[in-house]
Amino acid sequence: MSDIGMILDRVGRKLVTDVAPKLEGDYSGGHAAMGGIMAVMAGEAWDGAADRLVNEIKGLRDLIELAGKDVAVEKSASFKLTDLKRERDELARYIVALQMSLEQRDDDEAKALNAKIWLHFMNTALLRMPSPPDFPDAEEDADPA
Amino acid sequence: MLESELATTFAAYAEARLPGAKNARVDSINRIHGGASRQTYSIDLAYEDATGPKVKGLILRRDPPDSLIDTERRVEFAAIKSAFGQRGIPVPEALFLETGNEALGAPFFVMGRIESGDPLNPFKLDDVEPHRAAIGEQFFRHLGSIAALPVDGSALADEIDTPAADQCWRRELDYWANEIRSNALSPQPVAEAAIRHLERNPPPPAQRLSIVHGDYRTGNYLQDGAGKITAILDWEMAHIGDPYEDLAWATDLLWCANDQERAAGLVPWPEAIAIWQEASGCTFDPAAFEWWSLFAHVKALGIWVTSEKAFANGDNDDPILAWSGWFTHAAHELMLAMRLGPKYGAGG
Repeated sequence: MSDIGMILDRVGRKLVTDVAPKLEGDYSGGHAAMGGIMAVMAGEAWDGAADRLVNEIKGLRDLIELAGKDVAVEKSASFKLTDLKRERDELARYIVALQMSLEQRDDDEAKALNAKIWLHFMNTALLRMPSPPDFPDAEEDADPA
Repeated sequence: MLESELATTFAAYAEARLPGAKNARVDSINRIHGGASRQTYSIDLAYEDATGPKVKGLILRRDPPDSLIDTERRVEFAAIKSAFGQRGIPVPEALFLETGNEALGAPFFVMGRIESGDPLNPFKLDDVEPHRAAIGEQFFRHLGSIAALPVDGSALADEIDTPAADQCWRRELDYWANEIRSNALSPQPVAEAAIRHLERNPPPPAQRLSIVHGDYRTGNYLQDGAGKITAILDWEMAHIGDPYEDLAWATDLLWCANDQERAAGLVPWPEAIAIWQEASGCTFDPAAFEWWSLFAHVKALGIWVTSEKAFANGDNDDPILAWSGWFTHAAHELMLAMRLGPKYGAGG
């Protein structure tokens, strides 16, 4: 099978360095540049996407187990990203409810588990953060609002 | 509507509204990057009146099918009118407002074009050199001046409600929490935890009720490349509220490449605060700023999840919305987690 990450990277760089400059002055030039930047980022994210989701799921299940709770969220039937996301999202909803219940308590056990939940959030957020590729001339349009 | 069709229709519209104008035509029309929340066009309108031929530079801001921010153009129009000609704040002149679809197929407003200046990219802030200090001084002075604008009797106060001083935070938090809950395509546990944290630890009441720009930051002003800010733009999120909301948003770390030494990546913090205090008449309160600074991250997440939804649904296929839903969302989620986690014993 082709290397999807490599394809996205090459297509993105082509859009940024070749296509977008030819469209300079036209509104679509910005679209080409942004599309190219995100294709490169997607190529990088592609490789680690399943690994990241599997680790997020394990972290969430570990936290729920630490709380001594049973959770009726079935394990993913496959390693397809859509299946893993569905499992992660169901567990995340459960974590929101668990954290809300912990915040109602004032005992050390609750505070310790809440700290672990926050540590999970910190680690997860760090791993989710994409690194934008360095296209000095193409980032002109990366201002969102 | 094609741009050629838009030009013809707009020329007729403008001729009917400019006193004594005749033979109006659009000499040029270009769509520009004027914020993803409106379709923005730069127009050269040529016409004749009793004094002879004229060419007027205009900016047309028309509603797209969907945008980053769900706002009323009448509010943006009123906010610009409220600031125009006041306290040296450089804003364009608000000219025409249409809230219906009849004239150009969608609601829009028109303002005078500021003829000098370009926006700075907040992700390439070093481009401001060698004028960083000068731009920074004006950035915080104009921000303070907006906070000092009179609310009573302003065009904006005629359009929207004025909250009580102790309810500004509640109203804004409720609004953006609802945006997140209504629009997020996946659970947002960090945002939810942050919302609860902000509810449990409210800020002090607003020191004064102010016109809040709502999106005051690098990227939303023009500068002439010689150290002068020539226009404050993008007033679509303007409202009346606590001036700390603007101060916190303006200095959010996303808009200055995480520069923690200089406020907004422009001037040292003590200097920025001194300028803002003098211009606004407010006294800097670290506790209030801390709350509004965390709130700024939540508000940003509200914008980013809305962007992602609009892109995913196909309502707006501008790739900048995908970028917002991915990169900037991840950035603000990370900021919130790293700032709030240690408050709850994590990672400390």
